[in-house]
Amino acid sequence: MKNRPILEVKNLDVVYKTLTDEIVALKDINLQVGERESLGIIGESGCGKSTLFYAIMGYLPSNGNSTGEIFFKGENLLEKGQKEMMEYRGNRIAMVYQNPYSSLNPSLTIGYQLDEVTMFHRRFSRKEARKVSIQSLTDLHLGDAAGIVHRYPHQISGGMQQRICIAMALLCRPDLLILDEPTTALDVTTEAVILDIIGELKEKYDMSLIYISHDIGVVNKVSDRIAVMYRGEIVEKGSQNTIYQHPDHPYTRALINCMPRSGIVKEEVRLNTIQGYVTRRSAAETGCPYIARCEKKAHDCEKGYGLKENSPHHFSACTRAYAVDVPDRERTALKKVEENYDEEKNILKIENLYKYYGRQGKKIRALDGVTVSLDRNNVLGVVGESGCGKSTMGLTVSGLLKPTKGKLFFDGMDISVSWEKRTPDTLRGIQLIFQNPGRSLNPSFTIETIIGRPMKKLLGIKSKVERRKRIIAILKKVDIGEEYLNRKATHLSGGEMQRVALARAFSISPDLLICDEPTSALDVSVQASVLNLLGDLQQESGAAYIFISHDLNIINYFSDYIMVMYLGRVCEYGRKDEVVGPPYHPYTEALLSAVPDVDPSLKKRTIRLEGSPPNPTKKIGGCPFAGRCHRQIGEICINVPPPRVEFSDTHFVYCHLSKEEMQGISS
Amino acid sequence: MVLTLAVMSFIIFVLVEIMPGDAAQTVLGQSATPESLAALRESMGLDDPLYIRYGRWAGAFIHGDLGESLYMRGVQINTIFWRKVGHSVILALTALVFYVPLSLFFGVLAGVKAGKLTDSIISFFGLATMALPEFVSGIILITVFAIKIPLLPITSIIPIGETLWENLNILVLPALSITFVMFGYVSRMQRSSMITVMNSDYIRAAVLKGMPQGYVIFRHALKNALLPTITIIGMNMGWLFGGLIVVETLFGFPGLGSLTLSAIKTRDVPLLEASVLFITFIFVISTFITDMMYAFLNPRIRFKRGEV
Repeated sequence: MKNRPILEVKNLDVVYKTLTDEIVALKDINLQVGERESLGIIGESGCGKSTLFYAIMGYLPSNGNSTGEIFFKGENLLEKGQKEMMEYRGNRIAMVYQNPYSSLNPSLTIGYQLDEVTMFHRRFSRKEARKVSIQSLTDLHLGDAAGIVHRYPHQISGGMQQRICIAMALLCRPDLLILDEPTTALDVTTEAVILDIIGELKEKYDMSLIYISHDIGVVNKVSDRIAVMYRGEIVEKGSQNTIYQHPDHPYTRALINCMPRSGIVKEEVRLNTIQGYVTRRSAAETGCPYIARCEKKAHDCEKGYGLKENSPHHFSACTRAYAVDVPDRERTALKKVEENYDEEKNILKIENLYKYYGRQGKKIRALDGVTVSLDRNNVLGVVGESGCGKSTMGLTVSGLLKPTKGKLFFDGMDISVSWEKRTPDTLRGIQLIFQNPGRSLNPSFTIETIIGRPMKKLLGIKSKVERRKRIIAILKKVDIGEEYLNRKATHLSGGEMQRVALARAFSISPDLLICDEPTSALDVSVQASVLNLLGDLQQESGAAYIFISHDLNIINYFSDYIMVMYLGRVCEYGRKDEVVGPPYHPYTEALLSAVPDVDPSLKKRTIRLEGSPPNPTKKIGGCPFAGRCHRQIGEICINVPPPRVEFSDTHFVYCHLSKEEMQGISS
Repeated sequence: MVLTLAVMSFIIFVLVEIMPGDAAQTVLGQSATPESLAALRESMGLDDPLYIRYGRWAGAFIHGDLGESLYMRGVQINTIFWRKVGHSVILALTALVFYVPLSLFFGVLAGVKAGKLTDSIISFFGLATMALPEFVSGIILITVFAIKIPLLPITSIIPIGETLWENLNILVLPALSITFVMFGYVSRMQRSSMITVMNSDYIRAAVLKGMPQGYVIFRHALKNALLPTITIIGMNMGWLFGGLIVVETLFGFPGLGSLTLSAIKTRDVPLLEASVLFITFIFVISTFITDMMYAFLNPRIRFKRGEV
């Protein structure tokens, strides 16, 4: 510890009492955060990351009981009453939450919610408070701070809302700032800007920082030290580099290997998965919390378990991450490059597709002339910020939306109509899976009914026995046992639900599967298993995928072709390797630069994209990205639509820059 | 709003028209001769087609002419109707003043103390009063406050020659029995919306900003938690102003409810039409006011147009 500790958590246990059981949420937590130090905490959901900070803030539900000591600047916070805690909350310790929109009161103005902080803690008058609030917003690079204070939370964008939450947390110049997944709900480009600002402000205000996330890449950007949590325990802590390069705990190693990260592609590597899932911990349980899922477990794991300093500043509860007595799983590729299928066979052709929402005069141009085609057994990754039209494209192809203009061809057949007018065979051929599996499976149906229905309607299998046989076969493929047949979707975990959604889609052997952010709602280890499953199913069926995601790491891992979209238009299209390397479209360049890296040694310069995409109701004469482009070359960008620049048969970019200029971009 | 009223008035008119027996028969009684019936029909214009009669009726209505009562021959409805409406409005307002603050206060209290003893007591009381029909709770009130402890009059009849203003104490018991009915609904609604709001992210954020509890409840929670309750209160406004038939009958209160009931009993078509249309009007107006209140409290609706 270089600096004096500002926060010291000693032997903290948190137990929730329920009617039937006692559940251990935190067990024997020991943690120190020094002055001006920044600590990152990672772990899957349900590992107690958030509970830890509610325990520090004294904000546990009434059935939660915490024992141990939490020293903040020498004072034990656990001995303080609610009244005394008010002095710390928002004043000395401030928090920023995952979802900025729901953390702001919808019926009070931004200014009101900011002002009250200093009015209470500093006894400022309304006028003084307002001055400080506006200053604080300006510090977060929010233009027109004086105007924003009069607005309500719903009137501003998500990225701005989160900046306001951060500004609010910083009003009293806290000694410790706790950020609980503050960028998870935001776009990569916005995330990059916010992470930048956080780093900058930490220096400026001499704060200590705790950053909670499920994403090591994000934590790397802001934290010097990292602690890994699993089922209420800190299983490993150490510096950024140690954690990534020499993890001691098998969980840390497995978690890192789950993540799609730069340089990892499906042609070479199958993502690691962790068997099972995070379960609740009852008070009776002792020993290693990870033992049930551990691949490296040995006969003596029960003995000698506990956090120890194995090398300077590197603590771990276990050192078997690279244990040789249990061999590593073989590294295999997810996609085997066998020519089993006629890859050249075109399955989908989109020609000049337009989709407008809204009335005449106030049209929202969701798709503004998209042309692309997709071959069998290929994955087209579609990437872009929210609102770029990627989901609209998926929905239009699936027929849930009717195209405004343009043509769609599926297997050579014109399907530019909405789903009611498509033939049953086309309906069978195109299937869809969604981001939130919980909402796309009817909660009052059993799994059998959910999967059986499309079989009955679209394959015409009338016999119940025959259907059941097929359902069991398909469930087996997605790793779900027969015993699930009569369960309802609400009784499944997120990963299981997404598997059932996949089983439903594949039960009628589609030729094209549209995956709209299929893994964004899942934990990394579950995400890895779903991606592996998607890959395996493709190997087997030869179906083509449209894979929509905002996460370039996943797109890069999983796609064969990538299409980068901005404001309903294509910016860049090409084979995976052509898109992620130069020459780039400036927008692709910015997106790639914003992606947080799991490997901390890959430090790169982030291109800050300020503002948000232009209003989609206005007709844009030139390049839609011109307003935010860091390589804009002048009037031409704003007034003239960018030409199509081709680098190869498969790779093209819409930009005014010359080929040489784009070639010259390297990051 | 105007359109709703126009459509409603037409439906009311048609419904009343298709009731068996016509006005002439009602006036002349069972023993009338066919000739006299025909003569009266002609003089009342009953032989004209439906739309002409509707036009005549609606036209007169717009000019404030409610027509003439059939039962009390020669009495202009206007002269009795508005006085009864006035009584009803005063009763409704008294009831509002009684039950709205009371149920909001206890609803908020129960919501904040959810799961604790206070909450259980309030919720039990709310359920109990909700389960009692108003004639039962009314009789209990009469027994307690008028017979056992003779504080208030048993009936709410205004002595001839006096006005309501000289007899304000007659309002208390009817208003209390309305409070009994409404308290359960409104306080439960307020309780559940308070619980939802108190568990929201922004309340957590406000607490962890170090704001005191009372401030969090009144400044941060209440404004959002009032929204669903306002809908309930607004929806019951029409009933409160014109549908208090049971309560008014029980206490003999001279209001719109008992007037409507007697119009039904005596088949007094013009009076019935006037009452029902007025009750509809109150419904429409109160829905409108509810929407306005909603927009006032909820900026997300207020700014839907214009700003993005």
